[in-house]
Amino acid sequence: MSYSKMSLAKPVMRGLLGKRLRFHLPIAFALSLMAAAAFKFGVTEPRKRAYADFYKNYDATKEFNNMREAGIFESVRPTGK
Amino acid sequence: MAHPSQLGFQDAASPVMEELLHFHDHALMIVLLISTLVLYIIVAMVSTKLTNKYILDSQEIEIVWTILPAVILILIALPSLRILYLMDEVNDPHLTIKAVGHQWYWSYEYTDYEELAFDSYMVPTQDLLPGQFRLLETDHRMVVPVESPTRILVSAEDVLHSWAVPSLGIKMDAVPGRLNQTAFITSRPGLFYGQCSEICGANHSFMPIVVEAVPLKHFEEWSTLLLQDA
Repeated sequence: MSYSKMSLAKPVMRGLLGKRLRFHLPIAFALSLMAAAAFKFGVTEPRKRAYADFYKNYDATKEFNNMREAGIFESVRPTGK
Repeated sequence: MAHPSQLGFQDAASPVMEELLHFHDHALMIVLLISTLVLYIIVAMVSTKLTNKYILDSQEIEIVWTILPAVILILIALPSLRILYLMDEVNDPHLTIKAVGHQWYWSYEYTDYEELAFDSYMVPTQDLLPGQFRLLETDHRMVVPVESPTRILVSAEDVLHSWAVPSLGIKMDAVPGRLNQTAFITSRPGLFYGQCSEICGANHSFMPIVVEAVPLKHFEEWSTLLLQDA
């Protein structure tokens, strides 16, 4: 009586850690670059824009007069206007 | 001044402090990059039983993890050195003020033209007016003209102190027998607060600094008035 020989494929037994590293390291680098990019475009660039926008139309005289009338300065008293 | 639950720096009130803010953001971005990479690798390595007992060396990875950190360090060093030299520039200041630390108050001397000098003591909490800040207000403020390069010569009469105003990006040690120079330009008018930053005895926490930036005309009127009162 003959029967066909059935057997499972030999499992992979070597290079498992290397395979894991080859899978995870590119993801690690990609994630870290994405985190840096998120910080740059979510925090750094908005902060630079905020300062540029603040000073673009900043009227120092008007702000000084507002602060003067609020009475916060020691060297100048409010005019009362 | 600082506000409750603040995490970052105070708003910049001088060009140098703005540069420092942006550099700090740049350095923090690099820190976040490295931290994310390391954290991911730690979790990936800790969450497996796989090991390789037979790894001896790898020239490729040695090259990568030598060159990459060197490049990152250069990316940090270049803007850092740029700001360092920027802060060292003292471009023809219009005014020189001496700030002298004592136990426990600051004294300011404006001696460019006349002999104007006064002491600056903290306002005690019980004497504060509504709207004033506890432990930060002084009876006499250091008044400077706004948007005008100002040189500060910092020294001390007794022990070490440190003259610091965070929103202007300044901290300079006050050393007895030594004159330390720093300079700043205020970008806008207002009040800028700071505190002594070198332990100097019992009332180290109670000798604050207040810089009042006003237009030149008002600065001149103030100094004339003070000289007349003296």
